[in-house]
Amino acid sequence: MTAIRLQINGAAVADDVPPRLSLADFLRERRNLTGTHLGCEHGVCGACTVLVDGAPARSCLMLAAACDDREIRTIEGFADDAVMQALRRNFHQHHALQCGYCTPAMLITARDLILRRRAGSEREIRDGLAGNICRCTGYTNIVTAIAEAAKEFGKEPANA
Amino acid sequence: MPDEGFGVGASLLRREDDRHLHGRGQFVADIKLPGTMDVAFVRSPHAHARIRSISIPPEARGRVFTAADLPSVKPIRVVSHSTGAKSPPWPPLATDKVRYVGEAIAACIAPSRGEAEDLANAVVADFEILDAMIDAPRGMRSSRHPVHEQWGDNLYIEHALENGDIDAAARAAEVTVTREFRMQRQSGAPLECRGVLAYRDHRLDEVVLYASTQTPHTVRVALAEILDLEERRIRVVAPDVGGGFGPKARLYPEEIILAALALELDHPVRWIEDRNEHLLTTAHTRDHHYKVTAYADRQGRILGIDAEIVVDAGAYGLWPQGPYHEAGMVARALPGPYTIPNYRAKHCTVATNKTPLGPYRGVGRPGACFVIERLVEEVARAVGREPNEVRALNLVPPDQMPFTTIGGMRLDSGDYASSVRLCAKLLDMPAVRARQQQGEPDGRRIGIGFATFAEQTAHGAAEFAARGAAIIPGFESCTARILTDGSVVLMVGIQSHGQGLETALSQVAAEELGIDPARISVRHGDTESTAFGFGTFASRSMVMSGGAVARASRMLRDKLCRIGAHLLQCDVAETRCAGGMVSGPQGSVTIAEISKVAHLRMDGLPQGVDPLLDATATYEPGISTGVYSYATHGAVVAVDPETGFVELLDYAVAEDCGTMVNPMLVEGQIRGGVVQGIGTALYEEIPYDETGQPLAGTLADYLMPGAAELPAIKIGHLHTPTPHTEYGMKGMGEGGAVAPPAAIANAVRDALSAIGAEVNETPITPRRVLAAIQKAHRR
Amino acid sequence: MKAPAVEYVRPRSLADAVALLAQHRNEARMIAGGQSLLAMMNLRVASPGLLIDISRLPELCSVFDDADAVTIGACVTHAAIEDGQIADPSRGLMPRVAATLAYRAIRNRGTIGGSLALSDPAAEWPAVLTALDAVVVVRGPSGRRSLRCAEFTTGIFETKLAADEIIESVRIPKLSAGGRWGYRKLSRKSGEFASALAVVVVDRARGHSRVVLGAANGAPLVLDHTSQLLANGAQDLRSAVAADLARAAERHFDEFQHNLHTVAAMQAMQQVLQ
Repeated sequence: MTAIRLQINGAAVADDVPPRLSLADFLRERRNLTGTHLGCEHGVCGACTVLVDGAPARSCLMLAAACDDREIRTIEGFADDAVMQALRRNFHQHHALQCGYCTPAMLITARDLILRRRAGSEREIRDGLAGNICRCTGYTNIVTAIAEAAKEFGKEPANA
Repeated sequence: MPDEGFGVGASLLRREDDRHLHGRGQFVADIKLPGTMDVAFVRSPHAHARIRSISIPPEARGRVFTAADLPSVKPIRVVSHSTGAKSPPWPPLATDKVRYVGEAIAACIAPSRGEAEDLANAVVADFEILDAMIDAPRGMRSSRHPVHEQWGDNLYIEHALENGDIDAAARAAEVTVTREFRMQRQSGAPLECRGVLAYRDHRLDEVVLYASTQTPHTVRVALAEILDLEERRIRVVAPDVGGGFGPKARLYPEEIILAALALELDHPVRWIEDRNEHLLTTAHTRDHHYKVTAYADRQGRILGIDAEIVVDAGAYGLWPQGPYHEAGMVARALPGPYTIPNYRAKHCTVATNKTPLGPYRGVGRPGACFVIERLVEEVARAVGREPNEVRALNLVPPDQMPFTTIGGMRLDSGDYASSVRLCAKLLDMPAVRARQQQGEPDGRRIGIGFATFAEQTAHGAAEFAARGAAIIPGFESCTARILTDGSVVLMVGIQSHGQGLETALSQVAAEELGIDPARISVRHGDTESTAFGFGTFASRSMVMSGGAVARASRMLRDKLCRIGAHLLQCDVAETRCAGGMVSGPQGSVTIAEISKVAHLRMDGLPQGVDPLLDATATYEPGISTGVYSYATHGAVVAVDPETGFVELLDYAVAEDCGTMVNPMLVEGQIRGGVVQGIGTALYEEIPYDETGQPLAGTLADYLMPGAAELPAIKIGHLHTPTPHTEYGMKGMGEGGAVAPPAAIANAVRDALSAIGAEVNETPITPRRVLAAIQKAHRR
Repeated sequence: MKAPAVEYVRPRSLADAVALLAQHRNEARMIAGGQSLLAMMNLRVASPGLLIDISRLPELCSVFDDADAVTIGACVTHAAIEDGQIADPSRGLMPRVAATLAYRAIRNRGTIGGSLALSDPAAEWPAVLTALDAVVVVRGPSGRRSLRCAEFTTGIFETKLAADEIIESVRIPKLSAGGRWGYRKLSRKSGEFASALAVVVVDRARGHSRVVLGAANGAPLVLDHTSQLLANGAQDLRSAVAADLARAAERHFDEFQHNLHTVAAMQAMQQVLQ
């Protein structure tokens, strides 16, 4: 067992974890944060994407044991985030989700694109979503929703 | 049209969104029960083998279950009434033989999935390996080690369909086009894999299964029979389901075993499928072989079609329908929406040592469309005309509707030729042709291709009976209930896994009751709380379930008006139910007030009216043979003749599904279906090697389209409401996936027309494009 | 699938990491970004007994910019290179390559050293570092040694890294002001492993010209003849490519792969010649 102390959604967490436990399973099974989903466990589908120290990462390809002293943010941790609120509003308006399984990870990835100012054109957005598979929507509405949300943040990078 | 723009026809935003946008969806793997143990399966590494022995390490006794440890579990058995159908028993855990790589042999239980997998790896099975039968066309009549020994051959069923005089058509033909076509095996691959959580509820004396399924009620029917348990002691719940698309509309061994384990062990047990297992064991799809000839005159009028169809259906039949319908569906749909007068189709459904084949968006229609639309293209080229002109020549015109095609499809209404014109307009065909003339600076070739189809939807009893089905999904049900505060619950037998039915069905009830959809809840997917229904598949839910909701809502509306008339002391004929109240000449009373009378103050009810505001209705459409939506799809591609890479530049759909209850949701379904069809056309494939090993076990091998590979999907609408359903709506959920393989293959054909290369196989990979180019050069 | 049981340790210095590796040898694997290793463990095709986490070792995360070269620590991430957060010796080649590698979430954690140590035949960095004539510095119990990247990868997932060694850094000579590069990755789907990969670097001032193919059924393949012709400004390079591919018979390229490699090489060279 490995002792870890980390931040999850702004709260300090301490636990003892088996080294084999992925960050995804740690969040889902031990912290009851089930908004992060598993679709492949080999890093391709993107459904497990969370923020690790502010940057999107595949929680299926990280060990909880290796997250000592790190800051993790899951879909449950964006209540007051202006970019996330704009994304949620636009995803809703533009019907950018159907079954909802890819949605939390899609939002986290989209937010990162907007913050890095990589959501300025359809081409940029589509390239930026390469690592997030959606099986239901055909992507058209997701791209529209992100483009519209990005417009609300103009040229200044929003606060992370 | 409704008062406030929230009834039928409104693009109402979805209430499902809120929970998913906040990560508060509840999929099977998200449900936590104390004391749950995780299950991993020992699975066959061989495609075909006899099991000599299974060794379980002594310390694992009691935690590993083989078929011998669950003797009361009966095999799965599909019943088909079709002549000559052969149906093999399928033991949920293998007994003496395994017949496909991935077949379950034992269930292992541990506190975590990782430990359960460790346990599974410690179980050692000894096999006598047999020849794998993997070539359906070659081995269908005999193979060294038949898949099911007692059969003599490897045929689930074969059948022939003949209408008109195909031999006369052949003699009269001025143009003959013969081609072989192939759709490779693939997976439906929803983003959420399957999963089951099972436990015993002692208070209700039930075994409860949470399962990622599209069809909870029929799963209960099957479990009752296989486990020899009364249905009243089984509850099946489909919570949030992360995509279904057809493969989750079948019964699986894991559901049976998990229920049996829950009963045996009396603690919750959970099995969450991983992606590798999913690509191995969840229903495979498509996998068709075709050899087809089209006979035509010099104008391109198609005189007849002669087809041989082989479906590679894998090792067992998936309950309830088995593999018996797919080839027949292809055969009936293959002549397309055309006036072709002569037809012959022979079809064989073959058992192989591969994963069982199941339905996937479109089922037999994408293959049928691929064949006929490629043939239309080739006939056009043979007679020197534009393919769309040949389409227009052969399409059933509106004034001949209703029209029964030579394949037996009774087309009810529509203007097919208009969809072709609209689609060409959406793609700006003249501009594409001009671009082709100019040539590309990078040497790529531009091409444009089309495909038209009619989609049978919401077909009912007659259709399924004709297919020999023992289970006929001919209706849907709804119980509508108004609570004492005037809020409404709709309990429906279907199950929504992304289609937005919680929103769309509330719109239907709102239309009939005049209540804001925001006050209407939809309960679905739970055998406990809904009247019997079949589930969500076959593009049936809005028509069937929407129809049931409409009928039940009307029953409630009538009762509301009767009570309201009594309270308002006027005649029922003078009342109107709208805006959340019943109004008469002298005033109005709210639905909440009426409901309080019906529940809490029944002394205020009129004579002859019972308490409660509960209504249960079923619905089937006016015609059982289905209502037909239709579309023309068009694709613009750029093909690199040096590398074979195909880029999709533009894609458009011109469609007609009658009345759209929620246009926003309709467009979402179209786009989603189209991208799955693009996956079939360009990317998705599970090849098998000669020993029966599947070669795509991860998403690194099994490619699915991502946003970066795709253009925006353009949509145009035509509107021909059908007279046979509520509001004139037609089903349309699958249509998007039907035409892309044909449209894209035709676009590639067009791009390489100077070379004369054709690709008649999906997916259209760079290798296949280059091989086609080389073949054309060698001619 | 879930990873098999494993032990985990996070040493605080490179010296400690080297000592641990020497102690546990064949049972231990280094884990940096883990983007390849954990995928393999989840699929149960790798089951090390001990993971030594080197991802945050300061010795491996630093970047040194001197007059002639940039030395990049093994645990610098692809994203850091993509974003231009570190000094770039390649006049834009490395950030361009990094942007095409897998997906952003993978790039945020995956490392240049990890890519080199694994040497997946379809990986980008081994081919790029070969084209740039970089040197890899490795650390073992007896100290440091340097190897030319062009010789470091010896086959499919095979390198000259000994069982008790860790990649410390890669030292990349800076391209001159007139240095030019070309890069072409062919794949059916954005972010997937390359079907074909060509990297071209021409730096006349340093007498350097190299055309390298990745996704070449083995170690990165240097097209020697083509590289020479390119250096001399020759224009008919297609036959040179064909000759170089023909000489690589042990790679067993089929006709399709042959075509793809040729196209990738020609398109990459085109970028240099423009």
